[in-house]
Amino acid sequence: MMLLEHDAKELLAAEGVPVPVGMLATTVDAEPPATLAAPWMVKAQIAVGGRGKAGGIRRAETAAELRQSLGELLGRTIKGQAVRACLVEQCIEGMECYLSVSLDATQGRLRVLLSSQGGVDIEAHAGRVLSADVAFKEREVIEAAHQLSGTMASPVRDTFVGAAERLIAEFFAFEATLLEVNPLFVRPNGAWTAGDLKLAIDDNALVRQPRLRDLIHRRAEAYPETSLKLDHGFDFVVVDADGEIGLVTTGAGLSMQMLDELAERGHCAFNFCDIRTGELRGDPARLVHVFQWIAAGPKVGSVLINFFAGITHLGEVAKLLVEALKAVPELRVPVTARLIGNGYDEAIAVFAAAGNPLRVEPDLDRAIGLALAPFNGPRP
Amino acid sequence: MTAAVQVSSTVPFVAPEVATIVQGMTGRTGRRHAQLMRAYGTRIVGGVSPRSDSDKIDGVPVFKTCIEAVAATGAVASVAMVPPLSVLDAIRDAVTAGIKLIVTIAEGMPVRDAVAALEIVRSAGARWVGPSTPGLAIPGKLKLGFLPDVSLHPGPLGIMAKSGTLSYEVCHRLVGRGLGQSLWVGVGGDPVKGTRFADILPFMLTDPHTRGIVVIGEIGGSEEEELAAAMRALRCAKPVYALIAGRTVREGVTMGHAGAIIAGDTGTIASKTTALAGAGAQVFTRIRDLVDAVATGAGKAKGELVPPI
Repeated sequence: MMLLEHDAKELLAAEGVPVPVGMLATTVDAEPPATLAAPWMVKAQIAVGGRGKAGGIRRAETAAELRQSLGELLGRTIKGQAVRACLVEQCIEGMECYLSVSLDATQGRLRVLLSSQGGVDIEAHAGRVLSADVAFKEREVIEAAHQLSGTMASPVRDTFVGAAERLIAEFFAFEATLLEVNPLFVRPNGAWTAGDLKLAIDDNALVRQPRLRDLIHRRAEAYPETSLKLDHGFDFVVVDADGEIGLVTTGAGLSMQMLDELAERGHCAFNFCDIRTGELRGDPARLVHVFQWIAAGPKVGSVLINFFAGITHLGEVAKLLVEALKAVPELRVPVTARLIGNGYDEAIAVFAAAGNPLRVEPDLDRAIGLALAPFNGPRP
Repeated sequence: MTAAVQVSSTVPFVAPEVATIVQGMTGRTGRRHAQLMRAYGTRIVGGVSPRSDSDKIDGVPVFKTCIEAVAATGAVASVAMVPPLSVLDAIRDAVTAGIKLIVTIAEGMPVRDAVAALEIVRSAGARWVGPSTPGLAIPGKLKLGFLPDVSLHPGPLGIMAKSGTLSYEVCHRLVGRGLGQSLWVGVGGDPVKGTRFADILPFMLTDPHTRGIVVIGEIGGSEEEELAAAMRALRCAKPVYALIAGRTVREGVTMGHAGAIIAGDTGTIASKTTALAGAGAQVFTRIRDLVDAVATGAGKAKGELVPPI
């Protein structure tokens, strides 16, 4: 998961990494404190690359320009992501360098890139970027940074290497999968500043990264999916707040495919969900949560459950479904369950005994058809 | 004892009668799945549990270490049913003991651990399937993991899948149309993994029982693109049918699988579809379309009709 720039900077600044003076603005009339003087950089806080080129970064010379930039950026959608906040930072002067360390997942190695000419056009000047592929080891990455910076002139080189060593140490300390600093400002007096900072972290490592866990809890609004997974142990992502169909599904791949299958039929799912039926263990809590979250979707007109139970007994799952539906009376839309696996007949009996609170259909395409029936039936 | 895995593609990916141990067999999940695997026909010759005091569980000998287990049973394969933060240690123990094929089921293995595990298995010449996989199977003969019986049936299709549940669904429907599997390998949805699509291709191409290949991919990473490159390099003459999930997913949002995330232009549906189609695969977005194409022998286009069972 990619951290927002503001969070990555706060995290690394606490470790002594120099970052520009800045503030997080969520409203147009946010006023910079006296310590944060013009000119400013105004940067949309979204967790995707190519933000500058997409118009997400502005320079403001006056308070009026700052207000205008915030007005233009806040609430806008850039590269599919809503801009909920902007980072307003003091403009920094200095030589613009570039440093990145990224995971090569195929090889299980790291790629180190550096350049003495960074900036938003870094991709266009690939010839100026030096790279090395190294083993996933801190010592080797630092060694690569030393070697690659060999052509830089001193004293810039000494400052750059010092910065690289600090940043690489943080990459490993936080178990990141990507660290990119562009620009990395280097000044003649030996000082440096991380102008922009991209940090992607490994969600699977959160369990042993208390500082990152704290950050995500504290900033749950900015990381709803990850914070939900930390709290509840499974995946639930609101895909489209105006989505029509609530999905209660297990398995990430099949759940993703369900979104696609609905889209193919011209309909939009409200959510993605990998509830992991194998982990329910007799407790309907996860189902209750999911039904509640789906019930909050303003346009949801239908719920589609899809459990392909490899090992899980459907009779047990059916009892939990009945219990959970009872616990969420606010969910008033028709519920269709596509169930397949062991204990199908028991599941049918459980639903019948409960007065059939949902329709069951073992065939997926037909179940999708039933779930779409409230919207004038399936489209071809 | 023959090695379960070799680099050469003239030997099978895994021998059906491979002697197998289960690491973490005395745990709730480990015990259950060991029973189910045995019932399916897998030769489970031992279990490993450092804390267990019993000599046997369900009639299978239990050892304190992999070294003891391998010495006593001659096992060359292992299924590790241990929690995510213990997977790296389990792999190290198994490979050190001489295990040549290890399947790790747990979801949530940190990337740094996966990288370390990859280095261990590579330097030992072993193979690792996982993390976060339902495992692999030769239907009717061998199951290492927990692929559901309802989707398993002997037949002509080689299956490689990032997603467990989506492959269950696809294979269940194909079995319903009379098409079972020769070999099914779940590679898992993580970015760093032991076995990738391209690693499996040579085995499926040389396996005479495999007459068509079904690829269950999804957005994120570059595995489908690597497979396309391998199809070209190996002059793949068997029909390849691919389903790629996640075309509606936004950039930067992780969808359950750690590896299912789009960053910039890499990992997109467009990139994967172009690469695979360019290498001769038929790429689908709907399950039904893929199943229809395989079942009606759409492989005819390449002169490689897959006959029903």
